[in-house]
Amino acid sequence: MKQSIKLLVLIALSTALQSVRGADDDPLEVYVVNYTLQYFASRIAGGHARVEFPAPRDSDPVFWKPSTATINDYQKADLILLNGAGYAKWLDGATLPRAKLVNTSRAFSDRYIKIGGEATHSHGPSGSHSHTGTAFTTWLDFQQAILQARAIAEELVSKRAGLKDTFEHQLDLLERELLAIDSELMEIGAKKPGIPLMASHPVYQYLARRYGLNLRSVQWEPREAPTDEQWAELVGILDAHPARWMIWESEPAKETEDRLAMLGIKSLVFNPGANVPESGDWLDVMRENVDNLKQIL
Amino acid sequence: MSDSLYLAWRYIGFNRWKTLTLMACITLITVLPLTLQVLLSETERQMLARAASTPLVVGAGGSALDLMMSTLYFGRDVPELIDMSDSEEIWKTGLADAIPLYVRFRARDYPIVGTTLDYFDFRGLGFAAGRPLAVLGECVLGAEAARRLELKPGDSLVSSPDNLFDLAGVYPLKMSVAGVLKRTYSADDLAVFVDLKTAWIIEGLGHGHGDVARDGDTSVVLERSEDNVVANASLVEYTEITKANIDSFHFHGEPENYPISAVIALPHDAKSAAILRGRFLESLVTAQIVVPFEVIGALMQNIFRIKNVLDAVIVVVGLATVLAIALVFALSLRLRQREIETIFKLGCQRATIAHLLAAEIILILFASGVLCVGILLIVDHYSADLVRLIFVN
Amino acid sequence: MIKITDLDFVYPHGEFRLMVPDFNIGRSEKVAVIGPSGSGKTTLLNLIAGITVPKHGTVEVDEVTVSRLEDRHRRAFRITRIGFVFQDFALLDYLDVLDNILHPYRITRALELSRSVRQRASVLAETMGIADKLKRPVGELSQGEKQRTAICRALLPDPSLILADEATGNLDPDNKSRILDLLFECVDAHRATLLAVTHDHELLARFDRVVDFQGFRGGVVE
Repeated sequence: MKQSIKLLVLIALSTALQSVRGADDDPLEVYVVNYTLQYFASRIAGGHARVEFPAPRDSDPVFWKPSTATINDYQKADLILLNGAGYAKWLDGATLPRAKLVNTSRAFSDRYIKIGGEATHSHGPSGSHSHTGTAFTTWLDFQQAILQARAIAEELVSKRAGLKDTFEHQLDLLERELLAIDSELMEIGAKKPGIPLMASHPVYQYLARRYGLNLRSVQWEPREAPTDEQWAELVGILDAHPARWMIWESEPAKETEDRLAMLGIKSLVFNPGANVPESGDWLDVMRENVDNLKQIL
Repeated sequence: MSDSLYLAWRYIGFNRWKTLTLMACITLITVLPLTLQVLLSETERQMLARAASTPLVVGAGGSALDLMMSTLYFGRDVPELIDMSDSEEIWKTGLADAIPLYVRFRARDYPIVGTTLDYFDFRGLGFAAGRPLAVLGECVLGAEAARRLELKPGDSLVSSPDNLFDLAGVYPLKMSVAGVLKRTYSADDLAVFVDLKTAWIIEGLGHGHGDVARDGDTSVVLERSEDNVVANASLVEYTEITKANIDSFHFHGEPENYPISAVIALPHDAKSAAILRGRFLESLVTAQIVVPFEVIGALMQNIFRIKNVLDAVIVVVGLATVLAIALVFALSLRLRQREIETIFKLGCQRATIAHLLAAEIILILFASGVLCVGILLIVDHYSADLVRLIFVN
Repeated sequence: MIKITDLDFVYPHGEFRLMVPDFNIGRSEKVAVIGPSGSGKTTLLNLIAGITVPKHGTVEVDEVTVSRLEDRHRRAFRITRIGFVFQDFALLDYLDVLDNILHPYRITRALELSRSVRQRASVLAETMGIADKLKRPVGELSQGEKQRTAICRALLPDPSLILADEATGNLDPDNKSRILDLLFECVDAHRATLLAVTHDHELLARFDRVVDFQGFRGGVVE
């Protein structure tokens, strides 16, 4: 009787295992929640995975809401790569298979930056939202980006053990490039320690922490003219925080840039790379970001 | 023999009530043990198949059987609860996949099973209509639940309040039906599956309402301090999750402290299973890790022990019935004494009387046999449902 | 037709003894047997029919020594060659009239139930005036109709001898006469011999011969 119990349990186990592991030849279907993860996964997996990021190019993946059909596509994927740190608010209200979810930032979840305040603001037709809770642009600390890339590689290997060497080689190449950017940014931070900077949006917390930037944020949109209250808020901040540069997620409107210049503030773009760029790839965007940031030196 | 059968046929037709009583006796005494056998076999099949396909279950300490009845068959008794963190702990070990289950609430008497999508893959549940759960507030119905509730994708179903006197205000949640599962002849057929988060909303751990901090309506505000706003009971909580209000739904506290009733653990291999069991034995006093097949196997052994007693009772009752039937035939023979004398006088052979009686017995046995087979076919056809009715509900 | 020689019959417990040294009935004869109860009339019929067998002597019917036949053959002889009519009709209440008439054919292999037998049954019923009641349960029949049915049953196998044991005993006077008429008519038509036990003295005159068992044990008075 005991023997037969063990046998049945083993059969059940192997059946369960078979359902988890797919055929080794098919490319993996991977769904992600932002462009950064799409870039990392594509780099590591190469042709062995189809990495899908279904948010429209002009949307903010943090606040984008997929349709039910798109959620179903996510459900059918072999792997769903999450950024963690509260990234992609739609995840809270969606049903996804836990077995396929990978929180790529889990390794450093104890170092998430908590943000307070009740500040809400609006992004045009998509309605108002607030940046409270946890800072989520984790990869702008490039050491953290490396950990996220490693988490992706580890998960890909677990799905396709036969491709371990390929994946690890690709990861190695990616890590080197990320490390290069990391050291360049470290250099910038070291050259101007404590220099006050403004950010148009509170998305650079990890960048500031890792590279020692003295950053304060407003909540301005590059394509919308700031209101008088927002200008007044900025002036108020500048009293204690005499910044000469404002970091934008994308190119600001000319009028805003000019008015900032009148306040003695120059604009530079540091695109977080959350969505697919107009041209080039994620690494091009980051290299350009580094070059842009060098202007503060 | 055909003449004897004809005469017997006319005789039993003429004495139809006596015949029907005899048939009922014979049928009952035959059908009872066989029905019991069919139902027990089906019970064993259902319970053991489900137990065997569920490698390990983690739940709160206490009755392992209660835990099994809730986790495998969605029984009415709610076992002691554990935290969602226990499920995450299992994931973190890397030894097994973990499928949390929260079986506590009901919707029109059908168990609401809060779980993750992995459960559907694990049980191999396919869709007869609609699609899997996608967003909060949706439910997927088992085939039988959908049939009985006459619901299809697009319809809605309201969760039943925990109890009538629940003053804490667990609002019934109107859930929209996303899909209906294919029939599996298991407890899944009767379940209402929801996302764990939806189950927590039913419990009141998560809810959606207008923003009291920002909205202009001050009538709902009891107290406003710098960092907190206390609303009074007139603040309307949403009782249905829609596209328009889904963003207002939020949870208070840490989700990992939220309750679940059990975790189904799917170890990656036999070694992982052993290690996982070992770890639980060592470290967790309040929780238990159980091999369902062992628990249900023991239960089935007990049931079969009871069945042996029942079998003995049935044998005795059967004997008594056979004696009673023999008596009925003997009395019938006596009543027909005059008839027998007459046909003797007319000149029939001795064997003819035996033929006539044999024909009568054969006809009655045959009719009872057909009735038995009919009843057993019906029992067999509905055995899966009957067993669920008896053991699951 | 019937020839009894040196018959000596005692019931197993010896309470009654019937002795018939010599008794004959000719073919197509209609003979009445009278006598008080317990005088041995029915025993005589049983001995002639081969239902009981005498210790001594022989019983011949239609030139067959019935008393020497094996049980099996005696039964076959009885059902094919002798028709019985009983005082209580001895019909089966679970069968309809036709099935009662055909009943002997269903309880022996010695008779074969063919289409012509069925036709003959219809003709007999017609003669007996019960043709319209063939599908009726016998429970719904009057006493007279029941006895007509019983007579049809007795005559259907075309027997050479009819034994009637108080055949009119349960009938009212009108019916008695009518039934006897019918019985005689059929017996004549079939050229059969009739031996009838009766208590109805007013009917005796219609028989060819009367055998009286009165005050006699162990012999026959004619």
